[in-house]
Amino acid sequence: MPETPDVDVIVVGAGPAGACASIELARAGLQVVLLERGPFPGSKNMYGGVVYPRILDELIPNWWDEAPVQRWVTRRSTMVLTPTQALTVDFRSTAWGAPPYNGATAYRPDFDHWLASHAEAAGAQVLCSTTVVGLLRDANGRVVGVRTDRPDGDLRARLVIACDGVNSFVAKEAGLHPPVDAANYTLGVKETLALPKEVIDERFGVRGREGVDIEILGGTGGVNGGGFVYTNLDTIAIGAVLKLPKLAAQKRRPEEIIAGLKAHPAIAPLVEGAELKEYSAHVIPEAGLAMMPKLTGDGLLVAGDAAAMCLAAGIWLEGVNFAMASGMYAGRAAIDAIRAGDVSTAGLAGYERRLSETFVLRDHRKLKRAPHLVLSDRVQHVYPELITSVAERMFRVDNPEPKPGLRRIVTSERKRLGIRRRDLARDGLDGFRSFG
Amino acid sequence: MSATAPIAVCLKWTPARLDGGPLGPDAADDRFAGISPADRAALELALRLADRLGTTVTAITAGPAGAERALRDALAAGAERAVRLDMATDADSRDVAFELAQSLADAAIVLCGDYSLDRGSGSVPAFVAHHRRIAQALGLVDIDVDTATAATVHATRRLDGGRRELLAIPLPCVLSVEGSLATLRRAPLPRALASRSAHIDVVATPPAHHHGAPAIVTAYRPRARVMPAPAGEVVLDRLRRLTDAGTAPSRGETVVLEPPAAAARIVDALREWGYLP
Amino acid sequence: MTHIERDHTWPEISFQDRMDTVRFDVHERAHITVDGRTCEGCSTQACVVACPANLFVPTSDGGIVFNYEQCFECGTCYLVCNEEGAITWTYPDGGHGVVFRRT
Ligand SMILES: Cc1cc2nc3c(=O)[nH]c(=O)nc-3n(C[C@H](O)[C@H](O)[C@H](O)COP(=O)(O)OP(=O)(O)OC[C@H]3O[C@@H](n4cnc5c(N)ncnc54)[C@H](O)[C@@H]3O)c2cc1C
Ligand code: SF4
Ligand code: SF4
Repeated sequence: MPETPDVDVIVVGAGPAGACASIELARAGLQVVLLERGPFPGSKNMYGGVVYPRILDELIPNWWDEAPVQRWVTRRSTMVLTPTQALTVDFRSTAWGAPPYNGATAYRPDFDHWLASHAEAAGAQVLCSTTVVGLLRDANGRVVGVRTDRPDGDLRARLVIACDGVNSFVAKEAGLHPPVDAANYTLGVKETLALPKEVIDERFGVRGREGVDIEILGGTGGVNGGGFVYTNLDTIAIGAVLKLPKLAAQKRRPEEIIAGLKAHPAIAPLVEGAELKEYSAHVIPEAGLAMMPKLTGDGLLVAGDAAAMCLAAGIWLEGVNFAMASGMYAGRAAIDAIRAGDVSTAGLAGYERRLSETFVLRDHRKLKRAPHLVLSDRVQHVYPELITSVAERMFRVDNPEPKPGLRRIVTSERKRLGIRRRDLARDGLDGFRSFG
Repeated sequence: MSATAPIAVCLKWTPARLDGGPLGPDAADDRFAGISPADRAALELALRLADRLGTTVTAITAGPAGAERALRDALAAGAERAVRLDMATDADSRDVAFELAQSLADAAIVLCGDYSLDRGSGSVPAFVAHHRRIAQALGLVDIDVDTATAATVHATRRLDGGRRELLAIPLPCVLSVEGSLATLRRAPLPRALASRSAHIDVVATPPAHHHGAPAIVTAYRPRARVMPAPAGEVVLDRLRRLTDAGTAPSRGETVVLEPPAAAARIVDALREWGYLP
Repeated sequence: MTHIERDHTWPEISFQDRMDTVRFDVHERAHITVDGRTCEGCSTQACVVACPANLFVPTSDGGIVFNYEQCFECGTCYLVCNEEGAITWTYPDGGHGVVFRRT
């Protein structure tokens, strides 16, 4: 006898993906249970620090009046570091300091909690402190519910949406993921450092609620990856994103790499004297399209980091927006499928269609080479020095020698660093194809 | 007391959990608020006793709406009824106790945690017992109830120096238990889900009044005395003088007396040392 | 290769102080277990370097001792682990484990 579902949809994981899926479903009048293993939504989640909120306009009008934001990012820098040099491209926009805003720093235990409260307000049942430990399936392998770690813990639904983050044991159990390869993951570690607000304002050259976002290439001490610095109201987030196999091979511990970043002459003046308030770590699915699982199974959708939707491509580290959007589209596809009475893979095809029509998969397709390129040894260990030494020679005044032309500098520095012209040209083309 | 009289458990909602590490309490933040391990043990014990006596558990808390999370968790774990006395978290413990006693007039056993997360004075259980004119016992590390008669609780109380005291307490009574007594059971999924929208009785309370409770006597604290600066050439000497280090410690005096005489002797000593006026 | 010298302009805090900034509601069940004997045959001991909470401690006889209590539940260890079956990895029971606050 087929058992009847207890609810329409179970959403696993109250991160940005799960909250947005639940908001859509509950607003459509479906019965939704949102399960979260932490004691409250956001309690298990950390990231660098910036939410790119455009997708929220669609979900929560005037979200900026109520979202728990630390600062509005009005200044964005990209830094290339060698041990003694730094080249920074610094962009400012006052437009970003006013609605609808381009980016906001926020703490995830605040932000995710707030977003999930909208799911609850829309009518979703949010149950925390509940870990999903397995999937329930019928004789045909169709997903019909989940098993939780509570006593009497089985719950049945027409459809399950896995928004359980990067380790997604739910999607893995459903067999949607290709075999796990550590090379597709990076470890993110960060320190939340306290400084008085006025000191942060002064050191970063901002006022009021304006904030700064700095992405760093180089400076991770031989381990492929990158660094970041973000400003909150009275704390600074500084951290590193480190390619897992390299980290293990280089024998450098994550906290040592952060210490190295903090000691760099271009960073030290920003963080000096700050007190460590919290240390944290989380894994990032880094490889984008190359590691994406199947997004749909019979009775199952996968969204957010669980589907490797995070866009990690050097100057971009965006995951929350991709999670919110993919969650929202998963919710919409689920509504259609349930109304049509077909939650099979075919009935759920609207999910992938929506992702393909929007930035979620279009950005990933466009940038499919980027994660590999950005984490490649040349980009990581050779080009930072090429870029900074070219800059140094451009800006150095060598009187009475006349100024050399840019082309001559590049050629001589390229030769000095042993970079073959062919490799530089190919990487340049790859970069242009991705970022251009 | 009828056998079906419920067992009540008082849960103190503490706005921020004080074990918040170097960040300290996150002020008035419900995400980090909660009840103490001792309160959780009291809830578990209430559920076990109710099971054995064939009765139900009423969970009660005095606090703002945010405190209802503690009640929902109690309903999820197995409590039958939940009551919130609508009061501020920092309400006077005499008022809290008065309202609790009113709402729990029919409870056979009122269970409390031995101390709340904010390490309050632990006076609420005593005031509740006072208002209901029933027995009270605190610091309990074991509780058993005579199911045949449902008239007496047998309890073990922790004393100083690793000693234990066995108590027979007539029902109804107020009992405070230590956190180590029991681990709160995991709430089953169906109950946990149902508890999110379950009904909670909200009792409006009058403004502060300090109802008929005994006046609170605050201990007398002797004033600081001005002392002459210690003499001595070197810092170490001055420190020695100041702290009496190195001199023979004054030994306490041991007296063996009957309880009434002992109490009188203690009061005399406190007066002599300046702790009582 | 980029190499950064550690500059001691201000003191780095001890690792234990670092971990003490993090809140954990520890459950009595160990959610991750490590079979130290399997580790004796491991050539990389990648976990020792990579675990951000520094929970893998090599022993003199080539094994590993592991304590689950201050774990970020990040997944790094099972991803980098070199020997099949050395690590048994689950999430802690609901409501337990790490609780982030300003992350
Ligand atoms: C160091 C670092 C820096 C980053 N910086 C940025 C940035 O600046 N901007 C940006 O946009 N993105 C950034 N990201 C990426 C971003 O954090 C993620 O892409 C995003 O959080 C994904 O959201 P999600 O909802 O898919 O998953 P998550 O946020 O991981 O949420 C998953 C949820 O599911 C819960 N869960 C997991 N398993 C279970 C289970 N079995 N049962 C019940 N619940 C479960 C978890 O507790 C969690 O709440 C960064 C990530 C890292 C690690
Ligand atoms: S990497 Fe795996 S096998 Fe090797 S020491 Fe660590 S846990 Fe053991
Ligand atoms: S999950 Fe992360 S923090 Fe926990 S033991 Fe593994 S590597 Fe360390």
